[in-house]
Parts: sequence; structure tokens; C-alpha cells
Amino acid sequence: MHHQFRSPEGPIEVTVAKQGQVWYLGDLEATLMLDGRLRLVNPNGQVMFAHAAKVGDVWWVHCQGHTFNLERIEAGATDSDDGGGLTAPMPGKVLEVLVSVGQNVTAGTTLMILEAMKMEHRIVAATDGLVRAVNFSAGDQVEQGVALLALDES
Amino acid sequence: MVSKVLVANRGEIACRILRACNEAGLASVAIYAENDASSMFIELASEAVQLNGDTIASTYLDQQQILSIATSTGADAIHPGFGFLSERADFARAVGQAGLQWIGPSPEAIEQMGDKMTARITMRAAGVPVIPGEEIEHEDEADALAAIESASHRVGYPMLLKASSGGGGKGMRAVHSPSELIEAAKGARREAIAAFGDGRVYVERLLTGSKHVEIQVLADRHGRTIHLGERECSVQRRHQKVFEEAPCATMTPELREAMGQAAVSAAEAVDYEGAGTVEFLLAPTGEFFFLEMNTRIQVEHPVTELITGVDLVREQLRIAAGEPMSCGPLMIRGHAIEVRLYAEDASNNFLPAIGPLAVFRPPEGPGVRLDTGVREGDDVTPNYDPMLAKLIVWAPSRTEALERMRRALDEFVVLGTTTNLRFLRELCDEEEVTSGNTDTTTIDRLWPNGWQPSVPRGIEDAALMVAAVSESAGLHRQAFSTSSEEGPISPFATLNRRFP
Repeated sequence: MHHQFRSPEGPIEVTVAKQGQVWYLGDLEATLMLDGRLRLVNPNGQVMFAHAAKVGDVWWVHCQGHTFNLERIEAGATDSDDGGGLTAPMPGKVLEVLVSVGQNVTAGTTLMILEAMKMEHRIVAATDGLVRAVNFSAGDQVEQGVALLALDES
Repeated sequence: MVSKVLVANRGEIACRILRACNEAGLASVAIYAENDASSMFIELASEAVQLNGDTIASTYLDQQQILSIATSTGADAIHPGFGFLSERADFARAVGQAGLQWIGPSPEAIEQMGDKMTARITMRAAGVPVIPGEEIEHEDEADALAAIESASHRVGYPMLLKASSGGGGKGMRAVHSPSELIEAAKGARREAIAAFGDGRVYVERLLTGSKHVEIQVLADRHGRTIHLGERECSVQRRHQKVFEEAPCATMTPELREAMGQAAVSAAEAVDYEGAGTVEFLLAPTGEFFFLEMNTRIQVEHPVTELITGVDLVREQLRIAAGEPMSCGPLMIRGHAIEVRLYAEDASNNFLPAIGPLAVFRPPEGPGVRLDTGVREGDDVTPNYDPMLAKLIVWAPSRTEALERMRRALDEFVVLGTTTNLRFLRELCDEEEVTSGNTDTTTIDRLWPNGWQPSVPRGIEDAALMVAAVSESAGLHRQAFSTSSEEGPISPFATLNRRFP
């Protein structure tokens, strides 16, 4: 069976096969356990136990002390917006807006200060650019993921 | 007499205190905000009362509301835990005036120590060395900024701006050059006003290369004030402790005695009662300087409990009831390490994370203790501090304690919310940590450009396979499914015990 997972370098294609109760991927073998874990065996005979849980489209996997979150790309879905990364990383409150529309900024400039979980977080320009939009003002509550500002790269 | 304790806190520390009450046979009252209605600590109390209000200020910080719940439930003592109202002298005073026992030191001691500037002055008078710096009393923003600017020339860079009412890294800023000063001072003031309602900020020399070493003290009403040795908490990020241990790897018996005596003098200078912690910076020269005294139980108290065999919360309850503390002479055995599990993305500038705890399986086995306020199925929300749990291990030696911590962290499974688990695990392999030569700049020096996990390719492939197999096998559809049990309610579903 074929699946795609998102990664920073682009989609990763994974095809697994099943024979009897055993799943195969290259030289890895996996079996499902009664408690919902997976038992994996690699070609060296090393046995690994993995936990998995799905939240939304994301498979969370724990294996050998490492935790992964692998977002599954549904067949037919397209890569959507990114918006320059000036989105709220957390739900929180806008404390201060340090730039205005039409202003030229350099990479590293603090554009906005948010407060979330009682700590301050700075929204910083990743590149040089021109501020095209400022979507919130001081005191506004923002949801996670909303676009706070728009920056045209220069 | 103490017979019924109201715990004016939530989460992990509320669980710790409520368990101590249960062990001591004391009745207990939990108070909770609406968004905590299904939190674990409520289950550990003999009764629980919901607070009215939807902000922290109108719930866990609402003194009048908490006092009226104490009265209406018949509680005779209040344990404040840490954070929230734990270092509020006005609350400690109001508790006493309401005829209830405050589990902690007197309001006067809290005042003298809680205001960091007053504490510096008190300690200087008691002969305890303090960090070079200047107190600045101005409340007005313009006056304060001018005074900070002026003090900066005398104190010198790098320096630290600290909120006089501060704690937990809030309202604190390191300043390395004059150009950063004003923005840092404004930020520190703003954070301090938001967190403590007091914007006063003072200036201290930033002593780089120092260890953060603190001494646990206990004092009762029978004339006994003792120290329980040190904890080292040098490994900090943004002044938030991450990795704490006892004893300090480089401690000598002579230095422990000197620091212990200084801590006892500090406590005696304010007629201290109960459990408290005197924090010092320990310079590479062996000189130590008073940082502050925390007049409450501390997050990292378990490491002291594990090496001394003293149950600090139980002693707090005993001392508040007017009994003498039960511990004998100081005995230190083995080594203990605590790490703080935070819901945060260590690979993305430690940004706090939220999400469901779809799987939460803490490690088990010898020498492992977990203090937490969450369990599998809970949601991590942005409403409160992102600390999920404290994982504490004990072993006969420091080397074995680190080995045990690595094993325990490898066993710890948290899925659904990003945590700093892997960061903590890799920290245990760093040479500075294994050799015990950590100082307060360790994390910044080890990862100046931020931390990224190193993942072996084989493990990543295995994880991709697990995700693909789990999806193919429909594991997400089977999870938590109890549908086969459902059906019309049977009239025969009864329980009937007949005894002859």
C-alpha cells in the first residue's frame, strides 16, 4: 500500500506490502501487537517496539527514543499556502506592533511581539522586504496559524 | 492543629501536595478554574470547588474567593504550592487574619525576601555576599529607564535586568551592549507588570561561567533551622531551569558547610519558618553570591528528597501544625537528577506547543520518580505553564544516575504534542553534563544557533514504516473503539450481593 508523508525536503513516498500477518518495507519487517504497538525487526535481527497515534492527518510515532510527527498527504491534496512564515506560532495576544505598512525592513527585524503562555515571542522578518500588510494591532487576540503580517521579499 | 488543607494551586504541584495530605491522613480541598474541571489534581482531593472567573487573575489569583472557599469548606490551612499566590505576603497575611494556618513562612519573611531588592539589602546586612549591582526603586517608566541607563555605566556589561518581584525567568533580560538596553528594559518591565503587577526592575552584573547552586533549608517553631545540602540547577534556558541535580558534581564538604551556614543565616535573619531555598551563584573561584531566597516549596525539591530521605512537603505540613520537624542529622546518599518535560518545540526555538496527549507513557522501574499533573487523553492548552512533568531518577552514583536518566528518557513516550524529550535525552550525552562542568551558559554555548535532533536514518525509515503500516492497517479507526459494547441498556445489568 502506498502513502505520502510531508517532509521539509518534499513528499516522502512509502510503499508497504503485507504477507500473512507480516508487513514489509525494504528489509524491515513489522507485526502489529495486541496492545496497538508495532514490533519491527531490521536485517541485523534488532527488534524495535514502536508506538503510533494519529491526530488529524498526522501520525505520531515513537521509536527507539525518537518521536516523529509525519503528516500524511491525502491523495489528491495539493500543497497550499505558506505566506512567508509570518503566522502566529501559538494562540496568544499581540503586545506590540513595531512596523507599519509600506515600511522597508531588513532580515532579523522584530516586526511584532506576541504574548503566549505568559512569555513574549518576537515575530522576526526572515528576509529583507517591504511590509505589505499588518493584520492585527496591539491588544488583539490571535489564533494559532493566522497570518499576522505580509512581507514582500526584496 | 492542621486537619484540612486547601491547596491553592493546580497541576503537578497540587498533585504532589494533595498526595502528601492523603498520606498524612489530612482532609484536603482542591480549587479549580473551569478549564481545569477534568484535571488530575481534582481527583486526588477529598473535595473540590470550582472557582468563578475565566482569567488567572479571577481564579487562582483571586484571594477573596479562595479565602471564602476555605471558610465554607472548613479548611484550617492553606498550602500555596509554587507560583500563583505562593510568594504573596498580602495573601499570607489575609490567610492568618482569617484564622487559618498559612503553610509557609510569615508574611514579613516573604516581604523581605520576595522583593528582590529588599532581599539584597537584608542579606548584605546579615553578612551574606550579594552580586554586584544596583537597586532601582522608580515605578514611573521614564524615571526607571533613565535610572537603569545611569546604573548601567557603573555596573558594566554584560548585565542582567531583573524584576524586583520576579521569578521563573519572567521579567528578566540579559543585556550585552548599550544598544540593547532600552528595548530590554521595556520588555522586562512589561513582562513584570503583566506577571506580577510591579514593573520595578534592578540591575545586576551578569556573572558568566558561574554555577547556579541552591541550598534547601527547613525551619520549625522549636528553634531548629537546618540546611539539607545543595542542588545544582546550572543548566538553564532563558533562566528557566531544565536539568537539576543533587549533589552538585563539584561540591566539597567544606564548601557545602560554608554555603549551608550562609543559607541558615539568611533564613534566621528573617525568622524563617517551613521549607525554603537560598539560591547562590557559585563562581569558578569558589566564591558564592546570594541570588535570592524562594520562600516556598520549589519545583526541583524532589532531588533533595531522593538524596536526603526527607519528605519536604510532609515536613511543611508538620511544621505548619506546630510540630518539630522529623528529620535527623543531614545524610546524603547517592545522586539524583531531575529533568523538566515541557510541551515545547526544542528544534524551533523552544516555542511552546499545544495538542492532545494521545499517548502518555512515562518510564518505570528502579530509581524512577515521575511528578506530573497530566495523564493520557488530556489536552495541553495555552492557558497555563507548558511544564508537563518532572522526571526524577536516583542512583548510587552520578554516572549511574545519568545512565538511568538516559534509559528512562528512551522509555518515555509522548505522542500528540511536541515535547523537549529528545532535547533532554541528547543533553545527557553532552560532555559538559557527563563531566559535571555545567554552568548557566551551557545551553547557549552548546547550541548557539538552536538545537536540532540528530536522527539516525534507520530509525527515521522505521518511523515512516510504522506510520504507513498503521495507516494501512486502520489503527486510527480501531483506537478507543468500544462500539461492540454499546447497545440498549439492559434491565438485567444489576449488581446484587446477598449475604447469608
